[in-house]
Amino acid sequence: MSEIFRMENVTFAHPNTSRNVLNDMSLSIEQGSRNAILGANGAGKTTLFYALTGVYKPQSGTVYNNGEPIEYTKDGLRKLRSDVAVILQNPDEQIFCSLVEEDIAFGPLNLGLDKEEVAVRVAKALRDVRMTPYARRPLQQLSGGQRKRVAIAGALAMNPKVMIMDEPTAGLDPQASMEVMELAEKLHLQGVTVLISTHDIDLVYKWVDNSHIIYGGRIEYSGPVEEFYSDPERVYRCGLLTPSVFNMNRDITKIDGLNVTPYPRNCCEFTAKFGNSKKSGKLICVAGEEETVAGKYEETMKDLSGYTTGVYGSDVRHALLDKNIDFQFDAMDLCFTHAVEGKDSVLFYDSIYLPTIKEQVDKLKAIGFDVDLEVVE
Amino acid sequence: MEMDELAYSSRMVDWAPLGKLFLVLALLIVGLITDSILVPMLTFSIGMILMAYSTNLKVPTLLLLAIGEAVLIMVLGSGMISILGDHSQPALWEDTLLWFNIYMTEQSFNQAWLIFFRAIAGVTLMLSFACSTPIPYLSFAFKSLHCPNEITELIVLIYRYAFLLLERFLVMIDAAQCRLGYNGPMTAMRSYGGAMAGTFIFSMELAEKSEAALACRNYDGTFPIFREPQKMSILWVIIALGLAVGLYYVGEYTAGWVNMAKLFAPLFGWDV
Repeated sequence: MSEIFRMENVTFAHPNTSRNVLNDMSLSIEQGSRNAILGANGAGKTTLFYALTGVYKPQSGTVYNNGEPIEYTKDGLRKLRSDVAVILQNPDEQIFCSLVEEDIAFGPLNLGLDKEEVAVRVAKALRDVRMTPYARRPLQQLSGGQRKRVAIAGALAMNPKVMIMDEPTAGLDPQASMEVMELAEKLHLQGVTVLISTHDIDLVYKWVDNSHIIYGGRIEYSGPVEEFYSDPERVYRCGLLTPSVFNMNRDITKIDGLNVTPYPRNCCEFTAKFGNSKKSGKLICVAGEEETVAGKYEETMKDLSGYTTGVYGSDVRHALLDKNIDFQFDAMDLCFTHAVEGKDSVLFYDSIYLPTIKEQVDKLKAIGFDVDLEVVE
Repeated sequence: MEMDELAYSSRMVDWAPLGKLFLVLALLIVGLITDSILVPMLTFSIGMILMAYSTNLKVPTLLLLAIGEAVLIMVLGSGMISILGDHSQPALWEDTLLWFNIYMTEQSFNQAWLIFFRAIAGVTLMLSFACSTPIPYLSFAFKSLHCPNEITELIVLIYRYAFLLLERFLVMIDAAQCRLGYNGPMTAMRSYGGAMAGTFIFSMELAEKSEAALACRNYDGTFPIFREPQKMSILWVIIALGLAVGLYYVGEYTAGWVNMAKLFAPLFGWDV
């Protein structure tokens, strides 16, 4: 996999300060990968993001985008920022227009896109964050969580190649947080490189490929995160904590004398590893589009009335709002857990998520559990 | 905040902002250039009808209080005009109050009424416009008039950040209240002072962060407009000019028809 970003010995200090926020930092981000940037408050996560988008020019070292050093010229930065979208921690810092749809259209219009194309992107982004009814509302009439969704929609409307999310779930309720992670996964499946900085280590642990731990302006660790979490002193020094699933796996395997690997990362994998389940329940995964899924639901559920149901993806969730759905959020994990427990379920999902389903099946197989899966495309 | 919400919920929100402004200005001017009191009375009525339609007769109490206050000021002002009459004319009412000479004439009384109606017509017409035109629409309208970008963008940013900073200020006030920040007048003043200073410092911080965020969103010095408000059509010009010309001739024809002093004479026993 090629690198989309590479930082070599980057040092950055804010003007008129002596402390280096980024201190000889080197980092590599693979194209299309799922990344978490973890670190304590003040470790330099936000500064790193601004360095990647060319807002902060390092005092020394080089930032490469697609193998080329970032050009800090108007054209160079425009090209870079056309590909890289940022969602800031505080939405009020990045919302400039007065109306919701005006703000979402701000970035695409700055790219010079025609208004028809912008309208399509705005409508899609609004739907993805469930803010369509608020399109013409002034921003000061929205709650903090709704403003966050508007900020996310503004970044989605850019159709970026890299999505940088600085604490995207901060200030959101748990359901909205799950939707953000679904969106992050969807972007990943569309080939977008996603970087998420968060303090919600449990949420991000389920999803991430590579974690980059920042400590004192340097990269303390980069890679699959279990190696880092296995060193408690290092974790403590970096101001972090280990995820609950990781802790439980470590402790139970110690008690039972089992192998700590493979590491379960979510509920279904944990249940598969320690649940002693003998037989899988039936899991029927029905792919759908917003226009067709309601019909598929009626057709599928005609003969499967006793099955538990779940939805995964904003299109399907939106289309099946009036149906009797058991798992509206985190449904993929919950339906797979049901299967591991020997219960039957049906998962309606946005068709783009098929690779995620297959990935989950493979992970369960690696743990030693074969799911009785039927995919209806 | 209420004014803003009122504007967005107005039934006239989608009318062309420039068209509305043109109509209001035309009516205001015609009310000023005619001597007949009937014209400001008519423009006042038009303003009231527009405001009632715009708000669907649901004017917030705060706004009603503001209108009431403005009317009170106008009543006082007009009252002053009416009692400062020309001493060469016969007095309807002459008196001394402490060191102040009251001298009301037929002309000053009529003049006061004319000015009062012109003023309240102005208030109702401008309010009907303000109650139905959100500031962003107005700035877009200015943009279409080729008003400099710097001005229209300042309007947009001030509008956006004024609410944000006000919100922050109110949070600080609430936080101070939670910590007994209003326990006594001195403490209350200190709390308000602290909240104001805190809001100011926050505004500087916000400006710095927003500059970086604007850069991230490819800001190139102009705020693009996604959905432009309706443009002023020729129909607006015809309606506004037609009304203005019509009212002007009404004014010319009815000048001197209504004598307010005569109307009130039986009430006060004046000999007019």
